[in-house]
Amino acid sequence: MEQESNGHQAKADMVAALIQAAGRRTEPPQDAYRQVLDAAMTALRQKTARRRERSWLIGAVAAGVAGVFIMLLLQQQTGTLQPRVATVVRTFGAVEFSAGDRWKPLAESRSSISAGTGLRTLAGGGAALSLGRRVSLRLASATEVQFDGPQDILLRDGMLYLDNRASLGTGLRIGTPLGTVRDVGTQFEVRVADGLLRLRVREGRVEIDRAGQHLTGEAGEQLEIDVLGGVSRSAISPTDASWAWAETMAPAPDIDGRPATELLAWVARETGRRLRYESPVVEQRAATVILHGNIRHLAPLAALDAMLATTDLEYVLIGDTMEIRARAE
Amino acid sequence: MADLVHVDRAVARRILGGDEAAFRDLFDRFFPRLYRFALARLDGDAETARDIVQQTFCNAIERLDGYRGEAALYTWFCQICRNVLADHFRKRGRGVARVVLLEDQPNARAILEALAAPVSGEPDSEVWRMQVHRVVEATLDALPGNYGDVLEWKYLDGHSVTEIAQRLDVGPKAAESLLTRAREAFRVAIADLTNASDELSGTLGPSPG
Repeated sequence: MEQESNGHQAKADMVAALIQAAGRRTEPPQDAYRQVLDAAMTALRQKTARRRERSWLIGAVAAGVAGVFIMLLLQQQTGTLQPRVATVVRTFGAVEFSAGDRWKPLAESRSSISAGTGLRTLAGGGAALSLGRRVSLRLASATEVQFDGPQDILLRDGMLYLDNRASLGTGLRIGTPLGTVRDVGTQFEVRVADGLLRLRVREGRVEIDRAGQHLTGEAGEQLEIDVLGGVSRSAISPTDASWAWAETMAPAPDIDGRPATELLAWVARETGRRLRYESPVVEQRAATVILHGNIRHLAPLAALDAMLATTDLEYVLIGDTMEIRARAE
Repeated sequence: MADLVHVDRAVARRILGGDEAAFRDLFDRFFPRLYRFALARLDGDAETARDIVQQTFCNAIERLDGYRGEAALYTWFCQICRNVLADHFRKRGRGVARVVLLEDQPNARAILEALAAPVSGEPDSEVWRMQVHRVVEATLDALPGNYGDVLEWKYLDGHSVTEIAQRLDVGPKAAESLLTRAREAFRVAIADLTNASDELSGTLGPSPG
């Protein structure tokens, strides 16, 4: 041990001796610094101005084309210009929309959904929608909903999942034939099938109104309400395998150029886990790792595997906690 | 290194987006190093070194869209600087620069060892001192991040770890760790250099018989 310590000291002494023998590095003259900086800043401003001009032209043309396309689409779909209430982010299998009495295949991802529009997923299908910047709605297979307004969704049949990352509830109401579920800022699942309303709360709190009866579902709770108003409660873990359908539909964030901490927080939330760092050093390390690439179409844990493989970090799942560690040598 | 390159891509994107503060930060880090890089290859011609570095920055800005992060951004700037230098020598009719730096000389190891552990009574050689100055300068400039600065603060300015931590706005442990990594990176770079010069010495040595 002492020998090792002496070795380190000798190396440090060698480095010190060399640097001291060489003396300070040559400093460029101030006038050279100023002249080169002025020339470089001018070149940079010219370059960014040219890029902006090009982007503006491309953007203007694209916006014009998109505007005409959206107008035509809205007119074709609804016949009227209704306010947009949701955006389709991703679809799986067969998905249809209705405006009036007819159902038509929803061919395009990222379509806008206006008030009064119905959406249904057929067997094996699914859809992920955005209801604003921080609210994600996912429809499971064989589900039918109607968007009655910006705050009102009617779940006629099937199962949906809502992830509201806003700090306060959206005030969104999900009507069902067996009661109305009110979001107060949380992650939950609602299913209507076989005369039963089932609510599962993964995080936060949800309220249900049914014929004057007021119920509250807390995180980790499952409530089942039958047609006669009977209520049964049981426990559901936030990491239960039955949440997997919603995880696979999670719209992936744009992580290109973003710190690893953002990806980790997203994966933890989508998988219902608490995020923990092995140490403050590891957390600091994660904040300095900038990710490159995209994780589109990857489920949260698959995305994490792919991105962390290029870093010196790794994760371990311990119960409902996802711990981030420095990768062992 | 991969992480560093990812960060460099983000920096390049911010600069292309018109973030002048990001460019100023990059300029302040790269300008002195590129200036010394050019000066060492121009026999100390300060005026030409300034023009070469100016042209390097202008060319780099123009081509920044094409930077894909395959190498660290500073390495990419150095390559552009080499090209500008080659053009300069070609225009002057000198062909490709024939600049022999200490790091290319076969006696580098001897010089470095002598100065690392000076023998008492040995005559002070200004030529040797200048050569060591150049090789240590080039090595410090080639180190990643702010390793070169940290080593100078420690061994030339005599800053304590606490003072370095304050200067970098990090904790003392982080500063100590940074200093250790900087020392190691420097030691490895010098070792690589002297090994390379030994090989060069073998190659250039007189043939038997």
